Amino acid sequence: MSDNTVRIAGILVDSFFPLLKAGLLYTVPLTIISFVLGLFVAFITATVRILDIKPFAKIAEFYVWIIRGTPLLVQLFIIFYGLPSLGITIDAFISAIIGFTLSVGAYSSEIIRAAILSVSKGQWEAAHALGISKKQALIHIIVPQAIKFAIPPLSNSFISLVKDTSLAASITYTEMFRVAQQITARTYEPLWMYTEVAVIYLMFCTVLNILQTKMEILFERSGN
Amino acid sequence: MIKMENVNKSFGKLEVLKNINLEVKQGEVVCIIGPSGSGKSTLLRSLNHLERITDGRVYIDGELLDERKNDKDITNLSPESISKICSELGMVFQRFNLFSNKTVLENVTLAPIIVKKVHKTESTEYALELLEKVGLSDKKDEYPSNLSGGQQQRVAIARALAMKPKIMLFDEPTSALDPELVSEVLDVMKELAKEGMTMIVVTHEMGFAKEVANRIIFMDKGEIIEEGKPESIFNNPKEVRTKAFLSKIL
Repeated sequence: MSDNTVRIAGILVDSFFPLLKAGLLYTVPLTIISFVLGLFVAFITATVRILDIKPFAKIAEFYVWIIRGTPLLVQLFIIFYGLPSLGITIDAFISAIIGFTLSVGAYSSEIIRAAILSVSKGQWEAAHALGISKKQALIHIIVPQAIKFAIPPLSNSFISLVKDTSLAASITYTEMFRVAQQITARTYEPLWMYTEVAVIYLMFCTVLNILQTKMEILFERSGN
Repeated sequence: MIKMENVNKSFGKLEVLKNINLEVKQGEVVCIIGPSGSGKSTLLRSLNHLERITDGRVYIDGELLDERKNDKDITNLSPESISKICSELGMVFQRFNLFSNKTVLENVTLAPIIVKKVHKTESTEYALELLEKVGLSDKKDEYPSNLSGGQQQRVAIARALAMKPKIMLFDEPTSALDPELVSEVLDVMKELAKEGMTMIVVTHEMGFAKEVANRIIFMDKGEIIEEGKPESIFNNPKEVRTKAFLSKIL
């Protein structure tokens, strides 16, 4: 083995745990917090649109339009670098959470809306005929059935989000990718460092793929 | 119990109900027959707001449920009072529409628990009684997808009865069933009629209509063409269109 190979192997081994640690301590929490908050926003957005609650339905539509029509990176820049001009200074972590939450909220609201609309109209009619209000119908009948339709596309969003969190590096948040950048700046081995971080992202996403399959089987079994 | 006055309903330019006047008294079993597309289901569905009429008045159990002029609501009823009036009506659909995420028992207990705030034990007790009545106590923990069409429809009847309705509406309850499953559903309906339930049944089952109905209404192209006792409608129809329809199906 040449000296260079040994050197690169050493760098890869030395950086693996710092990268993995950054992934588990920063990338994973950022992803999970943003996704959970995002789903909450998405659910509210989808519900006000489906129940056509005025004037929120229009506001929700406007929100989805803005977020889907502009790049996530630009949104993060506006939040982190732009808002301070208005006297609103938000630290990098919170800025990232806000940006990703809004993004997940907009995209997933369309997934949830589509899933709710794909539950047969007869279910709504039966509920109405029994005197069940629309809100109660959503909670007890429609949403539980819609979950099955929503799981595959929502898992997709979640996996996308794991990777999108690397954009937080550009607003100075030290998540996994930024750690890789920092190590690269020291070692001058961009090919190997970025490949290594790519492999760790791949590991995370592989675990999520397996979880998705398990969830789909679980919801397939639960009778609906 | 039910009264419709000068009811019209149109979908855009298409008139589905034309000047319907109808009264159903307590304990009456009324069967509505007629060719498909004649407005039978729309009439039934406008009794519980599943369809909104364009013009006219609908009364349920003496209370005004809907009054519209040129498709404008002129009742000022709150959603709560509408759903309260509608809860006097039980409805059974052609395609059963059981809640697919709930077991048979939960299908029957859900509405009493969340709408009428009946306690769960009491609701379960009554649900089991109703399931016994439709002959499905042993299926209480199954999901609807594991039941045959006839069984699903019987559960749907039990589910509607659980709200203790004063009137039952049946929208072609046997049309989606395999022929050998029709009678099990009709038997349950006959039993109900015998107990004095007020029923409006949209059906193609002429045998059932003849046997159970107090009155037959024949509809065509959105209008009530003829109504009367089963014997007179089936044996001496007066109108040409009734004759033509009956000669095709009998």
